[in-house]
Amino acid sequence: MIRRRMIGRYVVLGALVVIAALMTAPSLMTLFTSFKPASELVRPAWLPPAAPTTEHFVRVWTDGGFGRYFFNTILISTIDAIAMIILASLTAYALVFMRFPGKVLLQILFVAGLMIPVTAIILPLYTTVRSLGLINTHLGVILPDLALAMPVFVFMFVSYFVTIPKALHEAAKLDGATELQIYRRVIMPIAMPAIVTTGLLEFLWSWNDLLLRLLLLPEESMRTLSVGLLNYQGLQTRDITGLSAGTVIMAIPVVLLFLVFQRQFVRGMTAGAVK
Amino acid sequence: MHHSFANGLRATASRYSPLAIFLVPTLCVYLYFAILPTINVIGFSLTDWNGISPVKNWVGFDNYVRLFSDRIFWEAFQNTFLWSAVIVLINVGLGLVIAAMLSRVWRARLLLQTLIILPVVLSPMAVATIWRWMYQPDGVINRALEGIGLEGWARPWLGDPQVVLFALAFAHSWSTIGLSVIIFLAGLQSVDEDLYDAAKIDGASALQAFRYITVPALRPVTAVVFILTLTTAFRAFDLIWATTQGGPVRFSEILSTYMYKRGALENQYGYGAAIGVALLVIVSLATLIYLRLQTREDSSR
Repeated sequence: MIRRRMIGRYVVLGALVVIAALMTAPSLMTLFTSFKPASELVRPAWLPPAAPTTEHFVRVWTDGGFGRYFFNTILISTIDAIAMIILASLTAYALVFMRFPGKVLLQILFVAGLMIPVTAIILPLYTTVRSLGLINTHLGVILPDLALAMPVFVFMFVSYFVTIPKALHEAAKLDGATELQIYRRVIMPIAMPAIVTTGLLEFLWSWNDLLLRLLLLPEESMRTLSVGLLNYQGLQTRDITGLSAGTVIMAIPVVLLFLVFQRQFVRGMTAGAVK
Repeated sequence: MHHSFANGLRATASRYSPLAIFLVPTLCVYLYFAILPTINVIGFSLTDWNGISPVKNWVGFDNYVRLFSDRIFWEAFQNTFLWSAVIVLINVGLGLVIAAMLSRVWRARLLLQTLIILPVVLSPMAVATIWRWMYQPDGVINRALEGIGLEGWARPWLGDPQVVLFALAFAHSWSTIGLSVIIFLAGLQSVDEDLYDAAKIDGASALQAFRYITVPALRPVTAVVFILTLTTAFRAFDLIWATTQGGPVRFSEILSTYMYKRGALENQYGYGAAIGVALLVIVSLATLIYLRLQTREDSSR
């Protein structure tokens, strides 16, 4: 009986090792390919490069324009993350700590936003951005990014703020602090977990999006990595080493962020889901 | 009278001006770039607008009538459901099994878990590049199949009308199943360990414990994963656009790619908007129907 259980445990472990290996293989082979000289491409993809080279990275970074795409993407994602932290936390603060008419209506408006699929409203969104003259500007992508993900992060901050004792807010109020002072000096300093999670997730979503950027940033100099990679794929279909290098360039920042902040990512991704 | 009105206004202003700092910036952005386009997509769908010209004629429900008799729309509609069904089946079924196995493992758990959920952070564009390469006729998947003596299974995965949608759904699942695993794992933490100990004493096998303890305990979490997976599958665009653009012919055309072609590429804006509304309705309905089923089940128990 006990023996059978031991065997069972090893079967589970073995199955998981196989699954993990299969899940990792596509990324790993792409990483291998990005370092392989052209002469090694005839060898099976699962073999690591024998004589690794960085020439493909240099090539796509300069000639392929990935250097520029990289900085465009970093710029948009960073602003997205910071602006989202500020806007979502301000709104959540008002919803939790302040009294005003129409609060329920506002909450319903944000719940409705949770159900709107970005894909469905992309055409009118384009005309909205165009009517402001913001096509081919980073701001024209940042504003829709913020609007479309706003409900998720407002509720993330709300669910964190409701765990903060109301007495803390009351006491600061009695000391004569204004709402903005309480927000900055009392509430935000203890809201670090929500801040980190919001920043990470918004950065990730912004980094990875294709559809919005494809429509709103048609000009080459404004492109992000996702659009740049798609375009490169269309032009250089057979350049598998270059494409792999481009994919690795796009993946490295978010993979590193994930490895460093795994706990925060996992918490953020489950926060909205499990209640 | 006039004076007191001005005073009242000033009082109201000073009472709510702190509030304005907290709400106005968010509301401006949110109403203008999320709510307005949602209202507009319905409005545009009732016109024959091409997206550019100043001429925008009200055509009532013409676009929807056209949609109903549009064979390509119904193909895309079916494909969207098939694609979503495959993804839900893998992400919910396999996701649950992987999470349950991870929760039982006592060695190298963090490493295994990290490797399994890591693809979650990759962008659909990167996923598209990776899988397009692996699915090539001379790609690594076909070579691996030949290597284990299954060369009969080898095929141009993204060029074969019979398998292209399944192949893409599989790639989508590869990059999203980690999210299901994470959510199931969080749910598993709340399952009472004593139940497993009791089952062990009663001589239940691991499979029986899974079937009679884990699965029922995770019912609510399963509903969440189901909805989450379904809605992300319905609204997907990036992966298919970056691999096949709906091809070969229309065998991997889903609603979002069809909408993009009609609306953004062929300038049939009103018609594209009607497809967008269909997408909007389906996603909301799917969520609502499932929530209804779930609550009915709970109340009947």
